[in-house]
Amino acid sequence: MTARKRMQRRCWRGAVAALLLLVAGAIHAETLAIVHARAWPMTANTGAQGYIDNATIVIRDGHYESVVAGAAAPTGARIIDARGRIVTPGLMNANTHLGLVEVSSLEETRDYSVTDGPLGAAFDVQYGLNPNSILLPNVLADGLTRAVTSPGGAADAAFLGIGAVLRIVPGGDILDRAKAAMYASIGGNVSRHGGGSRSAQWQLLRNALDEAKRYNPVQGVGVPRDQLQNRLNIVALHAMLATHMPLVMQVSRESDVRQSVSLADDYHLRLIILGGAEAWRCADLLAAHHVSVVIDPEANLPWTFDELGSRADSAAILQRAGVTIAFNVSGNTIYLSHNAGVAVREAAGIAVANGLPWPAALQALTLNPARMFGIADHYGSMARGLDADLVIWNGDPLEPTSAPDLVLVKGRPASLVTRQTLLRDRYAPKARSNPWPAAYH
Amino acid sequence: MRVANAIAPMNRQRMRRFIATLASSCLAGFVLVAFAVSADAYGKDKSLSKAPLPWKLNPYPSTYRPLPRQDTLIINATILDGAGHRFDKASVLLRDGKVVEIGSGAIVRPDGAKIIDAKGRWVTPGIIDVHSHDGDFSAPYTSLDAQNSDVSESTEPNAANVWAEHSINVQDPSFEHALAGGITTLQILPGSSDLFGGRTVVLKNVPANTVQAMKFPDAPYGLKMACGENPKYAFGGKGVFPSSRMGSVAGEREAWIEAAEYRQKWLDYESGKRGKLPDRDLKLDTLAGVLDGDIRVHWHCYRADDMATLFDTAKEAGFHITAFHHAVEAYKIPALFVSNHTCAVVWSDWWGYKMEALDGIRANAAFLDAQGVCVAMHSDSPWLGQRLNLEAAKAMAAGNRAGLHLTAAHAIEWVTLNSAKILGLDAKIGSLEPGKNADLVIWSGDPFSVYSRADQVYIDGALVFDRTDASHQPRSDFEVGEPSMAAPAGKHDDGP
Repeated sequence: MTARKRMQRRCWRGAVAALLLLVAGAIHAETLAIVHARAWPMTANTGAQGYIDNATIVIRDGHYESVVAGAAAPTGARIIDARGRIVTPGLMNANTHLGLVEVSSLEETRDYSVTDGPLGAAFDVQYGLNPNSILLPNVLADGLTRAVTSPGGAADAAFLGIGAVLRIVPGGDILDRAKAAMYASIGGNVSRHGGGSRSAQWQLLRNALDEAKRYNPVQGVGVPRDQLQNRLNIVALHAMLATHMPLVMQVSRESDVRQSVSLADDYHLRLIILGGAEAWRCADLLAAHHVSVVIDPEANLPWTFDELGSRADSAAILQRAGVTIAFNVSGNTIYLSHNAGVAVREAAGIAVANGLPWPAALQALTLNPARMFGIADHYGSMARGLDADLVIWNGDPLEPTSAPDLVLVKGRPASLVTRQTLLRDRYAPKARSNPWPAAYH
Repeated sequence: MRVANAIAPMNRQRMRRFIATLASSCLAGFVLVAFAVSADAYGKDKSLSKAPLPWKLNPYPSTYRPLPRQDTLIINATILDGAGHRFDKASVLLRDGKVVEIGSGAIVRPDGAKIIDAKGRWVTPGIIDVHSHDGDFSAPYTSLDAQNSDVSESTEPNAANVWAEHSINVQDPSFEHALAGGITTLQILPGSSDLFGGRTVVLKNVPANTVQAMKFPDAPYGLKMACGENPKYAFGGKGVFPSSRMGSVAGEREAWIEAAEYRQKWLDYESGKRGKLPDRDLKLDTLAGVLDGDIRVHWHCYRADDMATLFDTAKEAGFHITAFHHAVEAYKIPALFVSNHTCAVVWSDWWGYKMEALDGIRANAAFLDAQGVCVAMHSDSPWLGQRLNLEAAKAMAAGNRAGLHLTAAHAIEWVTLNSAKILGLDAKIGSLEPGKNADLVIWSGDPFSVYSRADQVYIDGALVFDRTDASHQPRSDFEVGEPSMAAPAGKHDDGP
């Protein structure tokens, strides 16, 4: 982000904030207390069990103030009785195309990838985000308040582009953090980008980073150049190196996971592995190098030659080895985006069924991705001062049959009405007695 | 009915066929083949007392044999029998591959029967996936498959001549993963590019080296059909008919008219009204089989208006639609499903990936069920096809959130008895009732919980999967010789 852009952004945000204070000041100044909660605050002070029973969660001005067992609610606070239900931070899916797709098969509603033109590493998804997407209320009603939205492909070798973190506020300012990570993909399925060999892909990727290192932002040149990265892409890569932006490597095979670690060492990159079907084979290496992994616990089939080592207990093996993990579900576009909420909860549950401790699974849905993608200063736990995004669940949040009873976004109850629930109510069996067509309901 | 028509004129027919052979040298070879097929098909009946209506033949008969088994008594289980009942602290006795007794009362352990204490665990019938592509869209998905997959013929809109069983790779590891998820029976379908996709096949989920050895003995065949976006784009995109929904329906109607003529020719031949042996046509064989009620129609379709059109199309052509598959808008037209006695085969929550799936709702299955429609959950995916129990669970939960009061004892039917009905196999599988096949799953807990796993899976009384015993965990040949899957404890790691 340029300085000017940052300034504009700050001004705009300031103006909106001022307006909100004027218009909705009374609401915003409210103090809220959720009482009798089984709170999972994801903070360090909860002991081995990880939760606090009979907790009182105090929220002031949209931020957490305290989570204390049995505490009295502050005078004048609005009180919500959780009646013993599980309360967690709003959840975070670590890889989606949310905000960038409406109907997957329609190219005019699909903005997560570029197939042609000059944009490779420079392709930045932040400009195409659609806060009015009907997918957003859906995932919010499933308990998601944050999501990484990633590029699905760019026009230049290996690089997919730059992803962002979203806050799930349908109709609002959904961009939480722009330029959260750079994405690249290497493996058998993308070998055509490297002239047919994954060796060439790695060489070209390294060379692109070399060119980016040599690039002189003042003169705008870097010599000599073999790969002819255009200005847009070289600036983007240079910025990645300069700002320590994470590089997300979408790789599956063990050799590519190891090559990614080697690359990160050589170029001093913050590395995140996405997919990583065979990452478990080098779990200790990843832990030692502080490499985190975004994993799909449902991907247990040898679906490609790069994924022959896929297994259902990858998450458990990685976590045991000390690797920081987060979740997504990659199976198809439905899980990736349309059902990004319920699918990622179910996937976390499947990881637990395959040996991952339950608290570790919840951490992989909250604190871990917040840290990986640079938003832990305002989201990821119930620590004092963080955004009061939380969910009161009607059951175990990792059971896909459970659902939120209440979702707070910055301390305010969010609507759980979606296009799906509206259609549902329109066609409910009890609505059948209405003699008028559904279009009138 | 064919059989009634066929018995009386047998000798006359045999004579005619012989005369035809002599009279028409150009047909001779064909007729001799037909003779050979019929002799083979009717095996012991050397007199050829029944003429072969070609769609009644099965040139690829099942060679399935149950795996070695032991009589087994499971006790102390929570049992959902698939027929709407729940039994607590219950027992079920499996003998000679059949369920012989079930209930909460004590069952006497027969001599030699193995006893399994399932305290804290649950038992359901084997789970049935009525829409799978395991084997015909198999792992690994390679660049060859990307060019030409074995799932759809896709070269012309009427591929009624193809049979899914001829595409199946029995070494697809997806089968064993489905087995580990409690799936004991699968219907494998061709894909949905074609209006007439071809014949489906029903398999028992047992490892085998041939597809015939997996085929469910005497299971009725199905015909996969497709409506809406898929055929329209698969062919219209190439400038080939059909390019529109109306073109698709026209293509179907024309094919059914032709099929009716074909069928009549054969019936006339059989009854003696017609002397000349009709030409064989593999496409029309399958369609005539549908018109005869032998082959069940499984129609890939999403939108309510499309499905309503096809209900009428089927009426016009004179056949019954067994089930619409996917059917994401079925909740808009429950009465049509009821009046046409057609089942809805659905997902719990898929929506939005294409225009005709935009109106998907999670209460689809539950709303249909509540209004008297026969409902089943399907996978259409080798991943989802490992946890149809959770599909039923999610669909039930969505219904209950919408105000219904569904129980697991009932919703389990969506992946057991209803599925069996859709395949025409409910006399044999789908519920744990005396006399039915001993296909069942012992779950580590409530099968509607994400944390529960299939501990043991039985098919025809044989223990075909055991999570606690590596010797009962089949692995396909494809996985043999791959690098060790042993967990990495202690692995020396000194960098890349």
